[in-house]
Amino acid sequence: MKTPLDQACLAEPLTCDGAMGTQLIQRGMSPGECGMRWNAERPDDIRAVHQDYRDAGCRLIITNSFGGTRSMLERHGEGGHTAEWNRLAAKIAADAAGPDGWVLGDVGPFGDFLEPMGETTTEELEAIFREQIEALAAGGADAILVETMSDPAELTVGVKTARQVTDLPVVATYAFQDSGGEFRTMMGTTVADAIRAACDAGASIVGSNCGTDLSLENYLKLGEQIVAAAGDIPTILQPNAGAPRNADGGVVYDATPEDMAELARKLRELGIHIIGGCCGTSPAHLAAMARV
Amino acid sequence: MSTFADLSKAVESGKRKDAKQIVEDLLAEGTAPLDIVEQGLVPGMSAIGEKFKKNEVFVPEMLIAARAMKECMGILEPLLADAGVKPEFTAVIGTVQGDLHDIGKNLVAMMLKGANFGVVDLGTNVSPDQFVAAAREHNAQLVCLSALLTTTMPAMKTTVEAIRGSDVSAVRVMVGGAPVTQAYCEEIGADGYSQDAASAVDLALELAKS
Repeated sequence: MKTPLDQACLAEPLTCDGAMGTQLIQRGMSPGECGMRWNAERPDDIRAVHQDYRDAGCRLIITNSFGGTRSMLERHGEGGHTAEWNRLAAKIAADAAGPDGWVLGDVGPFGDFLEPMGETTTEELEAIFREQIEALAAGGADAILVETMSDPAELTVGVKTARQVTDLPVVATYAFQDSGGEFRTMMGTTVADAIRAACDAGASIVGSNCGTDLSLENYLKLGEQIVAAAGDIPTILQPNAGAPRNADGGVVYDATPEDMAELARKLRELGIHIIGGCCGTSPAHLAAMARV
Repeated sequence: MSTFADLSKAVESGKRKDAKQIVEDLLAEGTAPLDIVEQGLVPGMSAIGEKFKKNEVFVPEMLIAARAMKECMGILEPLLADAGVKPEFTAVIGTVQGDLHDIGKNLVAMMLKGANFGVVDLGTNVSPDQFVAAAREHNAQLVCLSALLTTTMPAMKTTVEAIRGSDVSAVRVMVGGAPVTQAYCEEIGADGYSQDAASAVDLALELAKS
């Protein structure tokens, strides 16, 4: 029996994996293609990405199911595959994670707004999250990850639903941006308020992933604020490889594996329990980060 | 007696029911629908946009105000159509090919409607040819391109190229989205970039009038 993630992360520093989408694009996925479909049609490629991160020293493997709610799959006309593809995503990740790793069943934003900002009711959103979370749990997830959230109300529905339908620990993370000198989510929520909402909802581990245009210094400050806001609850931070920069008609992330390792070392000193990567990170970055 | 200022305030604070009631009252008093739009709704949306730019309010407040405006427009649009009143400017908007994200695009579309633009929303994953065809069909002054992913930004470049090589090459093109910058806008030959939905309205007005 595996130690539950929320206990394990207190006993030793753990490293989570890095970006998935860019790794799939390197393996031939077109931008805009439905990445969830690869769980069914290109499982060996998904497994290979997971394995690269596992070999880099990442013991937390995130399923390829970020856009896996029915509401997001409907955009590709694939809503009917919701349960099947999420189950497969968890199974593939479990193969790579192995007995010493943990599978984080990934739940991303459902793609619209809750009432009163939008027209989706809490009950409708619960049903959307429930379907995905049940399938991820059935496929072998060791924890549920509710991530890249902007609206604490949406995150709360995700965390509470995961609590209702599984016994698994729930990891909850927000994406922050710099709003006039302080970190807020796109919806304007401060770090303190956002983290408090996640803890109140019953999350076992709280923190942040991704972010808009944040520098490595920003992530360090953000880490401090998360640790301060989380109190006794374990924390997680999955930074991008610095802020992106325009180059050759596209975007590049400049932070090197050494830069990211330095950031990881400082984040450990602050008391962040789980460190991973997001946009612009690769297995090489995570290997350097896992060594600190 | 209801006033335009009451309506602006109701829209700005997102009080949908109040806003609709004021519109009904103004119409009953014989107020022209276009005056209600221009002197009541537009200033209300403009006020919330200004607060948004200053980080005094955030996306939720904008969305709630836009819903109030939308419900008022639901009453007014048929009346404006009957009277043959058309918006002065038309903007075609969409998320570029390969990108299915629409939150930013929808916010800009709402704010443009709030400034009384005619808005033709092509949705997400829009091809360069679809942008060109829509600009032609609707005789648009503006085409607005959105992208969230760093991997789909190059589709902005191909869309600008398609527009410049077409019979609607003079249409003004504006770009936006989380990874997009002023430098990227200039690099691909677009006419303007704005960093948030409220600033997008100022830019749209500037470009449409130029």
